[in-house]
Amino acid sequence: MRIRAERDDLADVLARAARAVGTRSPQQILQGLLCDVRGNRLEVTGTDSDVTIRTTLEVEVLEAGRTVVPAKLAAEAVRKLPVGAVTLSAEEGEVEITGNGPRFRLREFVVNDFPDIPDTIEAPLVEVDGEAFVAALAQVGVAASGDDARPTLTGILFEAHDDGLRLVATDSYRLALRDLPGIAAGETSLVPYRALREIGRTIADAKLGVQLDDRQAAFSSARGRMTARVIEATFPNYRQLLPDEYPNRLSVSKAALLDAVGRAALVAEEHIPVRLSLSESGVELSVTRQEVGEETEHIEAAYSGEEMTIAFNTRYLTDGVGAVAGDEVVLETIDPLKPGMLSGGSDGFQYLLMPVRL
Amino acid sequence: MEQFATRFLHVDMDAFYVEVERLADPSLRGVPVIVGGLGSRGVVAAASYEARRTGVRSAMPIVEARRRLPRARYLPSDMAKYTTMSRRVFAILDDFSPFVEPLSVDEAFLDIAGLRLHYDRPYDVAVAMRKRIRDELALPASVGVAAVKFLAKMASKEAKPDGIFVIDAGTERAFLEPRNVVELWGVGQATLASLAGLGIETIGQLAEVPNDMLRRQVGVAAAAHLTALANGRDPRSVEPGREAKSVSVEETYPTDLTESDEIDRALLELCHRLSGRLLKAHLAGKTLTLKVRLGDFTTVTRSLTGRQPLSDTSQIWPLASELLGKVALSGQGIRLLGIGVTALSEGEPTQLAIDGSDRTALADVSAVVRGRFGDDAVLPARLAEPPEKKTQG
Repeated sequence: MRIRAERDDLADVLARAARAVGTRSPQQILQGLLCDVRGNRLEVTGTDSDVTIRTTLEVEVLEAGRTVVPAKLAAEAVRKLPVGAVTLSAEEGEVEITGNGPRFRLREFVVNDFPDIPDTIEAPLVEVDGEAFVAALAQVGVAASGDDARPTLTGILFEAHDDGLRLVATDSYRLALRDLPGIAAGETSLVPYRALREIGRTIADAKLGVQLDDRQAAFSSARGRMTARVIEATFPNYRQLLPDEYPNRLSVSKAALLDAVGRAALVAEEHIPVRLSLSESGVELSVTRQEVGEETEHIEAAYSGEEMTIAFNTRYLTDGVGAVAGDEVVLETIDPLKPGMLSGGSDGFQYLLMPVRL
Repeated sequence: MEQFATRFLHVDMDAFYVEVERLADPSLRGVPVIVGGLGSRGVVAAASYEARRTGVRSAMPIVEARRRLPRARYLPSDMAKYTTMSRRVFAILDDFSPFVEPLSVDEAFLDIAGLRLHYDRPYDVAVAMRKRIRDELALPASVGVAAVKFLAKMASKEAKPDGIFVIDAGTERAFLEPRNVVELWGVGQATLASLAGLGIETIGQLAEVPNDMLRRQVGVAAAAHLTALANGRDPRSVEPGREAKSVSVEETYPTDLTESDEIDRALLELCHRLSGRLLKAHLAGKTLTLKVRLGDFTTVTRSLTGRQPLSDTSQIWPLASELLGKVALSGQGIRLLGIGVTALSEGEPTQLAIDGSDRTALADVSAVVRGRFGDDAVLPARLAEPPEKKTQG
């Protein structure tokens, strides 16, 4: 196979597909990118066998064919060539990347070893606004766990409802959910956030197609396609964790609260909570760390309910407040040992956060 | 070298919460300060000496305090802050003696018998201790010195504020005689009324009342207790026990354990025992250490640090199993197993889990039941014996 393309275009399709390539895969072939040239298109596939990203580019085809190139190295090599046209070719176990002088000759991976990733999903394709969807994933994703020991918690639940799609994630300390009315997702499935996080950086476009079945989730746009193996586990029954009502309600400026928690976080460490004392005059934040010192401040806010002090992990609180859309954040509470609920405008985002027991 | 005749110290921080607040805000000095719950149903947690002059006392409703002292400075109590400072106070006390028995965040008994080679008199220990607390923490402390615990505590009350009071050996009776019996340890309103029925008001009168008369009035046990106190006797020793650095249990088996089921059960049993010790002491720790001694006496230890403090069997067991899985048995049997928890904390902030997966509720209930009915009242089902078998054994 042999193609010619603009350096920046080629670097882009390689780099985006390479985001699916794991850095520690035990299988060497998964460190490669499959480049498949047909018609007038180059199709680049990267996979770690759970998440697959496929990008395409119109190129000048000199000779059709397939090759597997070392993912990170090839992508970087193209990126670092002088600006202008680049030629990528593969022949007799060698990949050649040249352009305006420099010449890389890299060992080709064994093309037939590249796994055959099932890429087609029978499920109907639902079209969504790409930008809004990626933003919603990020909003909910803050609550997803990064701990592979509990895979169920590393995903975002796509829950199909009659009137739309609900996204839910929890790492067992907080739970974020977002309702997206009007999106008929069909199937309910649990999609790894590790994959979803990459959509924005790889294939996101103004319009995004979403397909879900019981094994895979697929996202496609004019810029490419991502498929992810869904997590085959039962998501916690989160509905029973959502309190029915909250007697106390604080409404506070999002920017002021974020700034204040940011200051408190300077003094706190990971396990030291920030305390919020809620009263009619607003909210008083304080954090004390042995051997270091303390920080306190008062923010004016509207509060109705019992005077109380509740403590939260600073990072979890920052994540939640930061994810709320709009200028005002509402914090609803029950008591210092029951979950608090953060929400914002009318975007259907809710962030349930467990307090820290002092 | 002589022994100290008075070896017990009672250290009591003066208006501790108030003084801690004053460290942060010097404008609170010299004025009446009240710390407590500031809501309509709050109570006074601590009052400065200026405030106490008007009769404000701990546990008084804050509303009442405000009525008496509308112009005092009122502050919400900040336990985290006081606990932090308390640790520093205890760190100083620990430097003086390994026998430190905390009574609360701001109060402790010490046995200083071992300092006789370093100080001429117990009084000098008290001076040195107060100086260190003053120099390093800028906090006032009062110290009572006596030959027995309850007298040391009465002495510190006498020393307040910011002083030392020694009840010299041999002067106990003279100290006690004129005082009201209500000052004695364990004398509440009920006992007070019973004693009044015998016409007893002072400790001196109590010391002289015929024993059988006292027994009829208050019962055998209380009579013995009161007579001892009235005569300045108190057999209790100082019981250290705060913040043990680690808690561990181990077992050497009569024959080496070889079957995996047998090993699992043995480990579970140890986890349960360790949990019992931790719960009893109200401790939890994040670092779990496993010790394995093999048939050939090779000893291997493995440890890991979890996110949550561990105290319940259900929390310890999975981690202990994980650790054991990392030990290469190389075909040998296990001669000894031990597990321990370090990085202990008491009441450290704990991130709660939404789904209760931190098992707090279960652990709490289990702790209560085991505390009341014995360690084996709640057992992992694998360790439980059928009821009939148990009665035979």
